[in-house]
Amino acid sequence: MNIIDVVINYGSVMVNAFKLTLILSFTSFPLGFLGGIALITLNLTSPRFLKMFLRIFVEIIRGTPTTVQLFFIYYALPVLGIKLDPFTSALLALSINSSVYQSEYLRTTLNSVPRTQWEASLSLGFTRLGSWLYILMPQVLRIAIPALTNELIYITKFSSIAYFVTLPELVCVSEVIGAKTFAYTEVYIVVACLYIAVAFVISEFMEYLYKKLSIQGLTMM
Amino acid sequence: MVEILLEAIDIHRFFNKQHVLKGVTLDVKEGETKVIIGPSGSGKSTFLRCLNLLIKPDRGKIIFEGVDIVNDRVDINLVRQKIGFVFQQFNLFTHLTALENVMIGLIKVKKLNRQEALRIAKEALLSVGITEDLWNKYPAQLSGGQQQRVAIARAIVIRPRLLLLDESISALDPELTVEVLKVLEKLSKNRVTMIIVTHELGFAIRVADEVVFMEDGRIVERGPPEKVLLNPEKERTRIFVSKLMELYRLERNKIL
Repeated sequence: MNIIDVVINYGSVMVNAFKLTLILSFTSFPLGFLGGIALITLNLTSPRFLKMFLRIFVEIIRGTPTTVQLFFIYYALPVLGIKLDPFTSALLALSINSSVYQSEYLRTTLNSVPRTQWEASLSLGFTRLGSWLYILMPQVLRIAIPALTNELIYITKFSSIAYFVTLPELVCVSEVIGAKTFAYTEVYIVVACLYIAVAFVISEFMEYLYKKLSIQGLTMM
Repeated sequence: MVEILLEAIDIHRFFNKQHVLKGVTLDVKEGETKVIIGPSGSGKSTFLRCLNLLIKPDRGKIIFEGVDIVNDRVDINLVRQKIGFVFQQFNLFTHLTALENVMIGLIKVKKLNRQEALRIAKEALLSVGITEDLWNKYPAQLSGGQQQRVAIARAIVIRPRLLLLDESISALDPELTVEVLKVLEKLSKNRVTMIIVTHELGFAIRVADEVVFMEDGRIVERGPPEKVLLNPEKERTRIFVSKLMELYRLERNKIL
């Protein structure tokens, strides 16, 4: 069985599975984005003891494998009476994970914006929250686009861990097709092509967004 | 009897173990223009930032409108709406146009509606000589002098009772300095209360009600500009001022 045969016989099955992959990753990325903004906003405006809890949360999520988090949600939560289907479990694990990473990206980007922007907005009478929302965040988000592009591409590929909780996304389905046809090489070449195509479209789109949102007169790399 | 608007009493500030402000006491009356001079590292900028609590003093009181804003429970954001600050490096918001820079405080802090904010902001920009063709430019597209005047407009547009200016002209080349000095002189004539850190001696002589010489976290000498700048009592002030004079003459020759 060569690649052409794989595409002819299993193309539509694989594309359908890939749709699931895309739905999963394109939902968890924006959720992670909102979560990331919520985390950094809380971090910037809350009193010290709350910051400590946020820090602990970030360290736990960042310090454990996402697969373990996924298994926990899918296999351990039912013990506590919370039963989630494979898609929801994967969505939850990926979103929480991504929110932590995205908040860290935003935090490091914030460090690259001069502190004097804070000073200027505070002296106009803005609160810390107001300074962040109206002055700092619009600048941070623009600069963070390349880092967030990485995160989106990463999450698209990483969503394949949903395979571990039986979600029939692309890698899961391809594994089955491979086992059935023994054309592993051909199947996985098709899989790779699909991922690469999407990654390419994402990076082109984000590049366009980055240029469109860039501030006139400011040199951007 | 002119009212005292702000009174800083015995302000101390440490950075780590370094004692940066060693008990600075200064008051400013309504309508007065104070000029602070002194070598770099003398604590001028730190002192100015203490006055609107961008930096919190470790010891001392700052009485503004009769309330101690350091120790009493006050809404510092409300206080800051009454104290404008203009920075050495302008610090315009890079993602906003000149007009938006001036408007954002009116809309988000003063909660004015857009039309009203637009009207007031345009007025303020015109008053500092920023014409319509520049309103939609971003800070990075403006010259230093233009940026600084937008920054002044941004600070005065919320009608502060006191304006603090931190070496607002020293970052500019001589030609641009003139534009900004004109704006400041106009403000001073309109009896806007100001505390200005600057080394522009000509400006200080023309507009200052009092000149304060700071060194090493302390006020060394203070008094009317003619006295402090032309006939200082302390040896240290005399040396510093004569250096400034020399520089001033050089700069003047460059312009004329």
